[in-house]
Amino acid sequence: MSDFIQTAEVTEAKQALDRLRASMRVSIKGKDDVIEQVLICLVAGGHLLIEDLPGVGKTTLAYALARSMDCTFSRIQFTSDLLPGDVTGVAIYDETTKEFVFKPGPIFASVVLADEINRATPKTQSALLEVMDRARVTVDGVAHAVGSPFMVFATQNPVDYEGTFPLPESQMDRFLMRLQMGYPQPADELEILRVARTAYDAIAQSAAVTRADVLRLQALVHQVFVEDSVLDYILRIVTATRSEAEFKAGVSVRGGLALRTAAQARALVHGRDFVLPDDVVELVTPILGHRLGLARQTSDALEERRAVITVLRRILAALTLPT
Amino acid sequence: MEKKRPQLSLEELHQLKWLLGGVLVLLSVWTVFYLEIEAWTLMGLTTVAVMAALIRPALPARLPPWTHRLVFPAVVMFFIGDLWLNTQVLPAIVRLDILLLLYRGVSYRQKRDDLQVIILGLFLIVVAGVLTVSLAFAAQILVFTACALAFLLVINLVESADAGRPKDGAPPRVPAWTHLGWRRLWARLREVADWRVLVLGGVLFVGVVGVSALLFLAIPRFQLENSLFLERFAAKKARTGFNDNIKFGDVTEIQQDTSVALSVDVTDRSQIPAAPYWRMLVLDEYRAGSFRLSPLLRYREFSRGERVGDTIRGTARSPRGEPVYWTFYFESGVSRYLPLLGPFAQVRFRETQNYRVATNLGVVALREEPAAMTAYRVEGMDASDRLPDANFALRLLKLPGTDPQSTTLKMLGLGVNAADQATLAGMVREITGGVALPVAEFSRRTEAWLARRHRYSLNPNVPGGAGDPLVRWMASGEAGHCELFAGSFVLLARTAGLSARVVTGFRGGTWNGYSNNFTIRNSDAHAWCEVFDAASAAWLRTDPTPGADAGPGEQAKGEATLARRLDRSWAARWDSLRVFWYRRIVNFDQRSQVETLKAVKEATEKSGQQLRVKLSEMVERLKAWLASPWTAERVAKILGSVVALAGLIWAWREFGRGWWRQLRRNAPSGDPVRLQAGRWLRELTVLTGASESAQASARSWVVGPETARVIDDLQRLRFGARATWPEPEAVFRRARVAVRAERRRGRVTAS
Repeated sequence: MSDFIQTAEVTEAKQALDRLRASMRVSIKGKDDVIEQVLICLVAGGHLLIEDLPGVGKTTLAYALARSMDCTFSRIQFTSDLLPGDVTGVAIYDETTKEFVFKPGPIFASVVLADEINRATPKTQSALLEVMDRARVTVDGVAHAVGSPFMVFATQNPVDYEGTFPLPESQMDRFLMRLQMGYPQPADELEILRVARTAYDAIAQSAAVTRADVLRLQALVHQVFVEDSVLDYILRIVTATRSEAEFKAGVSVRGGLALRTAAQARALVHGRDFVLPDDVVELVTPILGHRLGLARQTSDALEERRAVITVLRRILAALTLPT
Repeated sequence: MEKKRPQLSLEELHQLKWLLGGVLVLLSVWTVFYLEIEAWTLMGLTTVAVMAALIRPALPARLPPWTHRLVFPAVVMFFIGDLWLNTQVLPAIVRLDILLLLYRGVSYRQKRDDLQVIILGLFLIVVAGVLTVSLAFAAQILVFTACALAFLLVINLVESADAGRPKDGAPPRVPAWTHLGWRRLWARLREVADWRVLVLGGVLFVGVVGVSALLFLAIPRFQLENSLFLERFAAKKARTGFNDNIKFGDVTEIQQDTSVALSVDVTDRSQIPAAPYWRMLVLDEYRAGSFRLSPLLRYREFSRGERVGDTIRGTARSPRGEPVYWTFYFESGVSRYLPLLGPFAQVRFRETQNYRVATNLGVVALREEPAAMTAYRVEGMDASDRLPDANFALRLLKLPGTDPQSTTLKMLGLGVNAADQATLAGMVREITGGVALPVAEFSRRTEAWLARRHRYSLNPNVPGGAGDPLVRWMASGEAGHCELFAGSFVLLARTAGLSARVVTGFRGGTWNGYSNNFTIRNSDAHAWCEVFDAASAAWLRTDPTPGADAGPGEQAKGEATLARRLDRSWAARWDSLRVFWYRRIVNFDQRSQVETLKAVKEATEKSGQQLRVKLSEMVERLKAWLASPWTAERVAKILGSVVALAGLIWAWREFGRGWWRQLRRNAPSGDPVRLQAGRWLRELTVLTGASESAQASARSWVVGPETARVIDDLQRLRFGARATWPEPEAVFRRARVAVRAERRRGRVTAS
């Protein structure tokens, strides 16, 4: 493999991603920016956390992505009585073979929708840790690979916190990005009302890309060139979060790496084989926002999120863009 | 996303504003240091408080709120009380100003308060400047100007940044910026510092100073200090060593000080004497160990009344030919007696002065010790070692029925008891051998006699005992300083029946090789004698201090003296700056104004003429070249040169530039291709306002397809892998075309 992507490969990747984008647009109206972020997350091989109010299309988005790819999909509805085994799978004694046989749980799919993840107990949430990090499950000392591509699509409601278990910071750090859906524009909402399909199964599209396409995209992303001044810019952003008094702690090394990979993915989504500083700028909030906590107390998660974004914007405004 | 230069945040601007305001307060308050105004406590307090507030900006928040309410009545009470107790208006206003600056320096300021700081500071600076006209003032006003410009800029930036913010109630008691550290601000300033802003700031500063200089050249001259009667706030008290009444050791004390006392310009260097003696004061009466100006002499010489004017006519005649001018720049805090080399034809002051002249003594005294540097120009000055005094000769002869010697003693005083007089008489006999000697011979022998017995030392030892201390010293073999030598000489001369007196002033000095002027420091202070020679009816200068007498090497005058006294040290460089300040700024009167304008006119005309001559010469040469025969060889040479030049240009563009870039690709400043691509990219994105990250297809709606492609290629050159680069030169050429096209498009759209 050459060090740099061939132009034909970039064109091919762009075409594949455009197909995927077009396919998702059929079900998700007026949310092109969100679709783009999802594509970036997919190409970067990361996991996605969507925080928003119920009924704005979080699950539909996951369905739309899964159905647009020739990949397996499963959905886990997290509740407080959900057990880790319900997620990962269990080993069951087989009378015929007189052995324990591993029955894979719903996590064994390419796209996993972890709905309302903060409703599960910390024990169940932590069961997700290994699988999100290493793409494998260990049951009774035996590791089982979940396969690739593998993408966790977690959703949570940031307002209704009654009876929930907020995700620990270590787990937040494992999500590549956090997104908000937001309400659609009136014209888009009218279109949604007009089409009016309520069942998720109705989101049936022929796969726009194959599993192999996705794997190729994910391999290609690491060959996207990042010039030294852009790397230095990423480093300056990360360092600035560490010396910022308003944050409890700065961004981890994993956070910096995530920002770089996501910027590479964005470049690929835009049909480029090199990263622009703007790729970094656009991704700072979704990639770093959920990794940072305020040093002071806030009344709720929404307020904290807003304050973190404000500080991040201030940091960005103060830093010189590589030109 | 639109390209945005890094900027200071509002909080950082507030922090910078606080810093600049504090510096302005300190700069202006420190100018009071040069004034004779009792404000030391206030100055010290302001300095400490403002510095503390600068180092810890959160400190002012600890002041309880009621203190701010009390400030105004307290300041008013202070001012009224000050005025009541001290009755002087200006010092009270200055103290009030410092107090207000103190308050402004330690409280969080709104825009109005910031402007107040500038006005209050400017008042102090102007008052100090007018009073002292010192070089330090020049430096201070320059720094103040720079700071004030920066301060005003920051105030405006703060205001414009603040304009967009919602106003929610009263400002917080502790502003948010106070927790930001100074090191951080410094790092941020370095980050946002842009050479364009710095150059623009520099140009603005030079512009302001330049316009001020033009105004200075152009405005009519007037004497502000005389109109305001501000002299009494003298910068320093005059030295006792140059007073009417000196004790032994006073002059020597001055010698410890190496600061400049006097700078002298002279139009004809050949007139500079081998050993210049700058006379200031004549002391004739000896009493109880000290010399003073006797009341009789004071009455006789200085009682003619004070005169007011800017010109003094003297007794000396101007020599024929080109007049020689000596310009003296006499520092404040030395004396009210003006240093002079001898009798003069005319003294002209820079401004009107109140003065008294003792013509026979060759002494000029101002009424007050000058508060600032005093400049005066002397014409026809006699720098020789004799001072004619026909009146004194007449008085000596006209005293009827008295013994000339006792008359001399009575007039000039010996002030020693009989035993001391006997000792003195013995000494004189030893010197003269009991013979009445001519004045010159007596002086020579006495000097030799003193030098044999005493060494020169700045730390003399006068032995204790009864009788006159000077006689005791003479009787001993102890070392002594100039005053002891001069005093001894006078007593011996008087005992010998000669009229003699002590003269104080400066001796020597150095020639500043940078500004071409004489520099006399306080360490050149000296005391010597004058003996009256009845035969020539003149006072003859004699210097009994060992080593002071003009030796064989010191006989030469003019350039030789300058070469011997040449000073090219760092101190001389600094002094030359001071002389420049005096010559060109302080002493800049109407005459200088006309001279400068004349010089500017002449220089302009001269350079214009030179340019015309050069141009016409070039035209002539070109004509001659064209007129010379066009042979085949010549044409071939020209064509060859043109082709060679074209070839060189082509080779550079084809290979040289690429080779040069290849060579510089790992330069610390960055790859030149990337840097140039970045510059073109900036220009195009600024011109078109196109989003950089937008896809080419989307961007082409805004900028046109070719510009969009150029931007793509430039981005690849700037941020892409080298292996994937298009040919840089071709891209830059297209970028140049695209920039022109976008500029045209912009103009069309605008119209």
